[in-house]
Amino acid sequence: MNRVRFIAALAVMITGLLLQATMVAPLAIAVPLSLPAVLVAAVALVDGPSAGMAFGFSLGLIADLGSSHPAGVLALSWLGLGLLCGLAGDRRTLLGQIVVTALSCTLASLFAGLLLAVVHAGGATAWLAIRGGVPAGVGDALLALVVLPLARALLRTPTLRARQPLVAELELGTSRG
Amino acid sequence: MRRLTRRQRVAAIVLATLALGFLTLDLGGGGLRSAHSGVRGALGSLYRGTDAVLGPARHFIQGLPSAGTSHSRIAALRHENALLRGRVAAAEADRTAHAQLARLQLAATSGRYRIVPARVIALGPGGGFDWTLTLDAGTSSGIRVDQTVTDGAGLVGRVLHADASSCVVLLAADPGAGVGVRDLRTGQVGVATGRGTAGFTFVPLDPNAVLRVGDPVATGPAGSTSFVAGLAVGTVSSVRTSADGTTSATVRAAVAPSTLDLVGVILLGGQTLPPRPALNPSAQAQR
Repeated sequence: MNRVRFIAALAVMITGLLLQATMVAPLAIAVPLSLPAVLVAAVALVDGPSAGMAFGFSLGLIADLGSSHPAGVLALSWLGLGLLCGLAGDRRTLLGQIVVTALSCTLASLFAGLLLAVVHAGGATAWLAIRGGVPAGVGDALLALVVLPLARALLRTPTLRARQPLVAELELGTSRG
Repeated sequence: MRRLTRRQRVAAIVLATLALGFLTLDLGGGGLRSAHSGVRGALGSLYRGTDAVLGPARHFIQGLPSAGTSHSRIAALRHENALLRGRVAAAEADRTAHAQLARLQLAATSGRYRIVPARVIALGPGGGFDWTLTLDAGTSSGIRVDQTVTDGAGLVGRVLHADASSCVVLLAADPGAGVGVRDLRTGQVGVATGRGTAGFTFVPLDPNAVLRVGDPVATGPAGSTSFVAGLAVGTVSSVRTSADGTTSATVRAAVAPSTLDLVGVILLGGQTLPPRPALNPSAQAQR
């Protein structure tokens, strides 16, 4: 990762967490919408699983450390989110990517809720995560409608574009002469 | 569908192991306490700055649903230009803050506690699982961990972490939180467990207690709860009796987290005064 991408990633992480806490969460308190999760999904969909996993793990860890629950819950959930979206994102349309984002974020939210229920907060957290799953998915899709085009535009600029690995494909088969 | 390379698989396993390691470390005895404290302090300062910029916009959006229904003057002005609408919303926010301040002052006077008013600057952070608020007052204002937070009449939560200029409050409605409470009609004591936006589940210590819909529930008894006694927790909205005869009740919260803006932190230890007496339901109704 070059220095510009690192600084940009850090800036996006902090901005995402600040917007989540000061705008998204207060305006949608009944539904567990997550702007940081949508950001992780967007980065993974555009840049692939490596960037998605690194971004998801780092952002999750910062969110964990800034929270009252044990560190590692969101790091693990958003690591999985980055992996899932990174794998699913190849050559999809914007609409397809929004659907993938909504489904993956809902899954990650359920996973985090269950994990939190096991390690920290009892069954009520899992029930809240399950009950809020569908509205959160719809809300995340709406967030993705704004975030994904921005992420696609930004991550495809020459400065922020990821270096693509050189792939040599050898096709082995019977020669037709 | 992309495929993982061997290197990516190894990276995924390493990161997952790291996350589980952090989880174990944090659960095992607070090994990451100072890291939590540092990040919370840094984020708290950033929330203050961000709230100063985005707060007016948020208040404007939050005020939109009531602006058209409760104030015909504002409804008329809504059709005017955007600048004028912003000014009306700002004035409305000031009036609400003034009313809240007056209520906090009343609570401080009647309860003989020192209360530090503070504004909510952030919720969370996290994926919606943390029922926490960040307030714009901290240890420099006398706030300490475990102090009770109120909106003037009802229980909001308790201080979880405080740094010089901000503090994090765990809402009483947090799904992992329990509050020692008393049914003010019958005097039955028990535990109210948070259920997020659904309020609380109240389980009286006496399994044969008779609870009724409409019973007011408040923190208490004094000395047996980590919260200041006598603060309204909510009202019983439904009562269930299980097959084994155990009674439990759903309590509608007295404080709606989504409407919180200005709250008060009760400075226990700031004055050596007797604990606040339990609220009288009729007096509360009159208020």
